Amino acid sequence: MVAGVCAGIAEYFGIDPVIVRVVAVGLVFAAGAGLLAYVAAWLLVPDRDDDPGVRPGRTATVVGAVALVAAFVSLSSVWRGNFGGWHWTGPFVSLVFIGLAGLGIWYLASGEAPSAGGARDVLRRAGFGLALLAVCAILALGGAWATAAGGGAIVAGAVIVAGVWLVAAAFVGGARWLILPALALALPAGVVSAANVSVDGGVGDREYRPLAANQVRDAYRLGMGRLVVDLRDADLPVGDHRMKVDLGVGQAVLVVPRDVCVASAAHVGAGQVAVLGRGSGGVDVDWQDDRRARAGTTRLVVDGDIGVGELAVTYEDPDTFEQGHGRRAAPGNAACIGGSRG
Amino acid sequence: MGSRRPDTPSLVAGLAIVVFGAVLLLDHTGALDLRFSAFAPLVCALIGAILLASGLVRRD
Repeated sequence: MVAGVCAGIAEYFGIDPVIVRVVAVGLVFAAGAGLLAYVAAWLLVPDRDDDPGVRPGRTATVVGAVALVAAFVSLSSVWRGNFGGWHWTGPFVSLVFIGLAGLGIWYLASGEAPSAGGARDVLRRAGFGLALLAVCAILALGGAWATAAGGGAIVAGAVIVAGVWLVAAAFVGGARWLILPALALALPAGVVSAANVSVDGGVGDREYRPLAANQVRDAYRLGMGRLVVDLRDADLPVGDHRMKVDLGVGQAVLVVPRDVCVASAAHVGAGQVAVLGRGSGGVDVDWQDDRRARAGTTRLVVDGDIGVGELAVTYEDPDTFEQGHGRRAAPGNAACIGGSRG
Repeated sequence: MGSRRPDTPSLVAGLAIVVFGAVLLLDHTGALDLRFSAFAPLVCALIGAILLASGLVRRD
């Protein structure tokens, strides 16, 4: 279309360029995947007259440099203690991740510059790539689950062993094929660690409706799923009641009576906090909403620890409460001094 | 008898992955608290270093 990518691909596979162009246009409407693939191919596939050994190396250099710049920019916000910088660095780095993932698979899985070949060669490469991706998927899921289940040390040890293996193999010819599986094991485990996700509390939906104050627990815990604690019938007496909510992945909903003042603090690895119409979202969310109750009223002090998902406190029925609705709800907490203004 | 030059991408990737694994281990033991604000640029640096090493090696 612009850079002759479609024609080049058609020539490579020995098919009509019109077919490739139609597929490319169709992929543009698949969340822009076609555009990304087109740009990647434009950058990666060497020109007809180029030395095929030069272009991929230069492209990898540029991409690597961009990644390091992104890392530096993002780290600088951490050094300044300005985590709010993630409002713009977060999406930027995410886009870099997506681009790097696509380019990385190309380089690491093939290990060779684009070159012509017969149908058998193409099938062989495709089969190898699919098998490698399947192994990587298994490693990624297994590593993430093992880390969430408390086996983080074992997974970290396996990552270190893979790294040492790569270093040793570098002196006897290299083992580049191991890079991708090692990353597949390491990165999801890192995400789970960064989000502090734990599935120790079990998996599934849990709903608690205590009918008296003495049935209210000090802590509610769930590994993965939806946790609902409905306190409307608990009839909490005047005074402070502290409650810990620990959720690995999913949504935790606390339903409180309107005459209860709610003070809350929470850490969310990735997701949001929504407390009676107020809230915050993003990655590494540290929420603090310290409230004092009016005289003669009940105060619920919530301490949340959410890996990935949402912590919501609402007056609504949990069956009708939807994810994300809490932050759009009308401000509440009228039982606190200062009401919704805090 | 000539000495074989190490494969740079494997060497760099190996070292970077060892560092990454060490960070995960330290986080698990509680020696540090890994968060997304540090994890994301760490991943960028990891992948960037590997791609740079791959790019700097001329393909035969």
